[in-house]
Amino acid sequence: MSGIEIGRLLRSGTTGFVVGCRVTQLDAPSFGALVRVPLEEGYQVFGLIYDIHIDDDGLVRQLITAEEVPDEVLKDNRQNRNVPVEIAVLALGYEEDGRIYHLLPPRPPLSLDAIYLCTSEEVVRFTGAGRFGYFRHILRDQDKPVEELLAAHLMEARTAQMEAGHSDWYEQAVQELITLMRDDYQRLINILSAASEI
Amino acid sequence: MARDMSNQNEDTSQSQQGQIGYIVGGGLKANLQVRLTVPAQSVQEGAFVVVESGGWLFYGLVTDLQLGATDPRFADEQTETRLPPQLAGLLHEQTLYTNLEILTTLMMEQGPDINDPGYEVWFQQVLEEKIHPEPVKTVPQHHAEVRLARAGDIAEIFGQEGKGAFFRIGNTLEQSHPVCVNLDKLVQRSAGIFGATGTGKSFLTRVILAGLIKRDKTAVLIFDMHNEYGPDDTASDTGLRVPGLKGKFPAKVRMVGLGRGATIRGKTPDYTLEIAEADIKPEDVLMLSQELNLRETTPTTLEALRASFGHDKWFHEFKHMRVNAYNVDEEGKRYPAPDSVAAWAEGVGVHPGAAEALHSKLRRLFNATYIVEEPASNALQQMIDNLDNGQHVVLSFGKHETDLDYLFVSNLLTRRIRDVWEDRTNNFRSGHQGAGEPRPLVIVVEEAHKLLNREMASQTTFSTIAREMRKYYVTLLIIDQRPSQIYDEVMSQLGTRITGWLGDSDDIQAVLTGLAGREALRGMLARLQPKEEVLMLGWGVPMPILVHSRRYDEDFWGELLAKKTNRSNDDILDELGF
Repeated sequence: MSGIEIGRLLRSGTTGFVVGCRVTQLDAPSFGALVRVPLEEGYQVFGLIYDIHIDDDGLVRQLITAEEVPDEVLKDNRQNRNVPVEIAVLALGYEEDGRIYHLLPPRPPLSLDAIYLCTSEEVVRFTGAGRFGYFRHILRDQDKPVEELLAAHLMEARTAQMEAGHSDWYEQAVQELITLMRDDYQRLINILSAASEI
Repeated sequence: MARDMSNQNEDTSQSQQGQIGYIVGGGLKANLQVRLTVPAQSVQEGAFVVVESGGWLFYGLVTDLQLGATDPRFADEQTETRLPPQLAGLLHEQTLYTNLEILTTLMMEQGPDINDPGYEVWFQQVLEEKIHPEPVKTVPQHHAEVRLARAGDIAEIFGQEGKGAFFRIGNTLEQSHPVCVNLDKLVQRSAGIFGATGTGKSFLTRVILAGLIKRDKTAVLIFDMHNEYGPDDTASDTGLRVPGLKGKFPAKVRMVGLGRGATIRGKTPDYTLEIAEADIKPEDVLMLSQELNLRETTPTTLEALRASFGHDKWFHEFKHMRVNAYNVDEEGKRYPAPDSVAAWAEGVGVHPGAAEALHSKLRRLFNATYIVEEPASNALQQMIDNLDNGQHVVLSFGKHETDLDYLFVSNLLTRRIRDVWEDRTNNFRSGHQGAGEPRPLVIVVEEAHKLLNREMASQTTFSTIAREMRKYYVTLLIIDQRPSQIYDEVMSQLGTRITGWLGDSDDIQAVLTGLAGREALRGMLARLQPKEEVLMLGWGVPMPILVHSRRYDEDFWGELLAKKTNRSNDDILDELGF
């Protein structure tokens, strides 16, 4: 399976992991995109990008406060950073021996494992398996921007599913969301408001 | 995708089987609650529904529809203005719902499938009432499927048209399946047809009478106060001609006119009836206390008359007494003439004033042209013979349309006829030689609240018949628009009640008298469509049901009088809608 490599693993846990990449690799990953980390033969973990951030370091701080910094210096320092861009990924499920599970992965990825952006087919395969169990992981953590995440993910997944000919995937996904969030009026309305943008 | 396909299959199979929802709550005492899975407009109050659960079928009526929401805020706020239509639609599908309340009354074990070879045998047993629905004693499970009744379900409960005593009285509201009433059961107890004025009671009565006459197991005696049933009539609102019973059953129905020379709408009746003075008993007069405004002294006076002149002659003698007739004697004093009321009264120790008052109040009876000393023929006996011989009698009152005439004549005749039937029954029961079983008789009375109200309850034969419950093979079919005025002891003895729209809540309460747990039906009665819809309930009907009543027109007569043809099993199943 091919896909763009977006970086390598910095640190990980069961519920998610952080990927590092160079600035020049940054045009590929986007907020809400589905990614995968192949670990060993027949086992890979799927996740959703929920945060992309760039930390400052001493050099950047100095450059900002300096006066009259030439453009080449700025550009050079942007491209050639020592501190990687960090991409935070939420674990959504895994694939083992050809079968997809929307449960938390039994073993997290290891340092320096390569992370790939999922292709349309892979998106269709992962989101179409089972009954949207992975929504649980997205909805669980209140710290994350859940509504935006879902909207971005739905947008990507809907496009991929329509291309594959499954025209009612989106409706079913929204129905599942409503069923899960029925008791929390405010959150549900927020999610649907975000979804109405796409 | 698996989920994709299963949803689609569910939708088509639901609509094919007519599933409208699933059970979510409720109980035996309270009604069952059903979550509707089809749009609310496709189900109406009074719809006949079936719940399948655990090998049993539960039959019931929809008595209420309620809107609900999983969270009140979904109902309050108009999310369709905030969200795009697709999302709003999906949201409302899950958070806003309609619940039905169902009153279950009957349950029956589920027979084999329609395609199973054992179905015919099982259905035959159902028709013969070897397998029959029983009153509901348990509840279906959660999420049991609820569907609208099919023609087969209705045939299982109410009978199949054309078989035996089953007579189609109308169709269900939502899907127009035929609903039958068992005519034999209908007349086993006194029954009532109610509805406010103008709700089509007369038409419904005509339909039922036509069915009874066609069935011919019971003799029918109709007191036709307004000349509606026997002769052809004209509908007051549409102006169309309404066929009469006499015209359609010329040989079976005898039309009798009241009073010599009576004509009914220009036609001569089969024979005329006159009341002999000798037939009138004091209790016949007492019954008219309210109508004639008789005093409390009346019973004493009547008793004295009877004692003086005997059962047969008292009326005649009293009629011919004079009032205010005084003679003057030799001394110039006035004294009552010998043939005057006052003279007789003094003679027997009755207050003269009371006797004179009674005489003047009975003037209306004295003046009645149909009360004669010697009737031209023994019409009463002829009526009884007709009823015995398999014919039916319609007594038309002709021009004697007042309440007085109606009350007096119908009570007197009923008393006489019932006495005859009582004798016959006693002879039959004691096994006398040659005493056959009396032919069952139904007496049809209108304006029943004038005959059966609380004041008259002890005085009319009608209340006796109602309370006797066919002990002597006589029952009533009462037709009335003010059931609240009918004595409630009589109302509670009524078996089947067929009622159209009633406006007064007292009337609605009265119709439901004697039937336990029918509060759910009160609202339904107030929301019937006049002239179209009736509610049938009571003893002769397996469960309460709302029907669209059958139209009384030439089509009806065409169907009723058509010859029967041999029908194959396939035809029967086709007709049931399978």
